[in-house]
Amino acid sequence: MADDKQGRPIPKPSTYVDTAAFWDGAKNGKLMLQYCKDTGQFQHYPKPVSIFTGSRNLEWRESSGKGTVYACTVIRVPGPGLDGRLPLSVVTVELDEKVRIIGNVLNADPDSVKIGQRVELAWDRISDDVQYPAFNIVEDGKAA
Amino acid sequence: MSKRDIVIAGYSETAIAFKSGRSAYDLAGEALAKLLAATGLEKDAIDGLAVTAPLSETPNPFFAVYMCEALGLAPDWLNYGGTGGCSATGGVARAASAIRDGLCEVVVVLSSDAPSTSWKANYGAYRPEFQDPQGVQGPPATFGLLMSRYHHQFGIKSEALGKIAVTQRQHALHNDNAYAKFKTPITMADYEKSRVIADPLKLLDCVMFCDGANAFLVTSEATAKKLGLKKMVYPTAYAEVTNFNGNQSCPDITETGFSKIGPKVFKQSGLTPRDIKMFQPYDDFTIAVMIQFEDFGFCKRGQGSDYTINTDLSITGELPLNTGGGQISAGQPGLASGGLNLAEAVRQMFGEGGGRQIANPKNALVTGIGVIPFARNWGTSAAMILEA
Repeated sequence: MADDKQGRPIPKPSTYVDTAAFWDGAKNGKLMLQYCKDTGQFQHYPKPVSIFTGSRNLEWRESSGKGTVYACTVIRVPGPGLDGRLPLSVVTVELDEKVRIIGNVLNADPDSVKIGQRVELAWDRISDDVQYPAFNIVEDGKAA
Repeated sequence: MSKRDIVIAGYSETAIAFKSGRSAYDLAGEALAKLLAATGLEKDAIDGLAVTAPLSETPNPFFAVYMCEALGLAPDWLNYGGTGGCSATGGVARAASAIRDGLCEVVVVLSSDAPSTSWKANYGAYRPEFQDPQGVQGPPATFGLLMSRYHHQFGIKSEALGKIAVTQRQHALHNDNAYAKFKTPITMADYEKSRVIADPLKLLDCVMFCDGANAFLVTSEATAKKLGLKKMVYPTAYAEVTNFNGNQSCPDITETGFSKIGPKVFKQSGLTPRDIKMFQPYDDFTIAVMIQFEDFGFCKRGQGSDYTINTDLSITGELPLNTGGGQISAGQPGLASGGLNLAEAVRQMFGEGGGRQIANPKNALVTGIGVIPFARNWGTSAAMILEA
């Protein structure tokens, strides 16, 4: 597929729940996450109901994209969609909005990434017109 | 559960093989035939069947019904277990309930899978949009994340995980069913230099998908005696939990469902961790074993490394661990995996452990783990205590 970068599949939106807001946001450089209006809490990945109440009283809100590395690993063995990406830094980020998201770190040596480091939203281009949320390590208040 | 009215009165296992070229049906047939031979049971006495959803046949939603056809069984009760490595112990527990409810009398709990020959599973759901793009396809990356967090909070001593790997490998050497390639000893040096898969997870921390099957005969004590069955063990406690902390966006991912169900099975059985004669924990990764030492109260939370290092986990030790080598050293028969730990417990309690027989097999703690979700601890945790 000509659109693939390094053989990565292009995700098809809204196969699980309606995720148009997430993908439209990504196109415009905004990280849109599901928000439970009843409890005032975010949840991710998107679900068919609020995981807090079971209601569908959900909306999409933009995340600051700022957060802290909660867990980190470096993938070192080949697999589907990993061609040309190894070693690949993978982190679980706890966003300041108190919700976690798994992402790749784009701006740092994978071996240097540590739990507790501050990160900010970055965009990983999967194809000419699809970008995916990722993170950059922030040092001393600015990108490393 | 806690009552002594239901028994496991027979078990069987196929050998574990890599790329056997066989199907889950064929492996199940071998396990059933062996179970019938071991127990002397007539096939048509079986009126209940519990099977496990296998990675190798999951596109077929009627797998359980097809299995009945394949085996010539016409059960009055059929259970299709979808909790992966918890499906075997969970199948026994569900069978016990069904027998008590009078739905059936003689149940076979059968798990078979052949993912190293034919992987047909597709987890689908959110993963293509929210997990695959980041390259997090399989359990190793997710366990790398979990280990990193555990290390951050409590510290992991590499020699502890290495000891689990080396000890279980030693036990697999006595297991005729273990995957042939794993039947060579490993040393701590081998562990230390084994390659990193997803930091800090090493190759020798991991299971390898293989093919295999296991089966258990579950019935009431009264029916077992009527059938002339001599060997039986009593499942005196069982508990499970799925999607533990699943109503939180930021749970502590080092907290597992075992922290909830561990106390429950001890309460049901009236036993304490000190009373346990062997531990057959689900061992997809060494860290899962170490965390279970903590969650079942063999040591305090965060002290898993020191406990592992300071405890003799061999077949002659104070807490014999995965005495058949576990999945890590016998090979993981796909989602028939949970039955491997259970079969070893029953084998030991029947006194059929051969070169790995422990001295006083009067009880066993067996566990299961099912699936690794997005940015959380594992999906299902199950625990069963068997008593003689």
